[in-house]
Amino acid sequence: MSWSTTLSTGAGFWDPVIWVIAALVTICIAWLIWRTGERTCERGADAEGPFISGNADPGPSAVHVPGGNLYWGFSTALSGMYHRLIPLHTGLLSDYLLWFLGVTAVILVIVVGVGA
Amino acid sequence: MRLSRSFSRSLWVFHFNTGSCNGCDIEVLAALMPRHDPERFGIKLVGSPRHADVMIVTGPVTWDMEDRLRRVYAQMPDPKVVIGMGSCQSGGVFFDSYNLVGPLDTILPVTMYIPGCPPRPEALIDGVVKAIAQLEEMEEEQ
Repeated sequence: MSWSTTLSTGAGFWDPVIWVIAALVTICIAWLIWRTGERTCERGADAEGPFISGNADPGPSAVHVPGGNLYWGFSTALSGMYHRLIPLHTGLLSDYLLWFLGVTAVILVIVVGVGA
Repeated sequence: MRLSRSFSRSLWVFHFNTGSCNGCDIEVLAALMPRHDPERFGIKLVGSPRHADVMIVTGPVTWDMEDRLRRVYAQMPDPKVVIGMGSCQSGGVFFDSYNLVGPLDTILPVTMYIPGCPPRPEALIDGVVKAIAQLEEMEEEQ
């Protein structure tokens, strides 16, 4: 199998020669775009920072929007339930096993009671 | 001054208010109205210093605005010129006020001043045309 063999996968093909040519063309285009840049552009925190009406960049941590903001409406609407559920999550395995056994016992009592 | 060559590219202006009473700001807007219509020459206001060749500063520089003014100036690409518009740039009636940093040229390299309280739109346009000549010289030096 030659190094320049075209590999056909059925959904497409892979040819290292075409890949190299495409990479060279991409590099040439990128170089042409880079060449048109302003050579005298100043470097430094102020010059490179984002324009926020002249205000200092507060940094990523100050402007980060956490994922929790996306379901803020749900968590606020169901806050009554969460206030009761969250304290139950102690993180202790023995507590969870106790809940498991307790709920299983209640279900058994209900099932046996209904069956009788 | 070779206006024919300088008009080969647009001159975009960033307006920065460092504490103006809005008198100069209204005249900036008046200069953009159809009566003078500088946009037909490609002269227009832009919303970001990244795109600007000229910064027009209106109002005296207050303490809160000093670092913002320096930051915005640093964000403009070279070559760039600064125009101080109005009497406040040299102090004016607020000269030596406790709430001002000082004249504009103590903070930024000012290319020209447009005096008046406020200056008329014709004076502003005249200043911008002179800024074009200044930019031509800067580009030739580069």
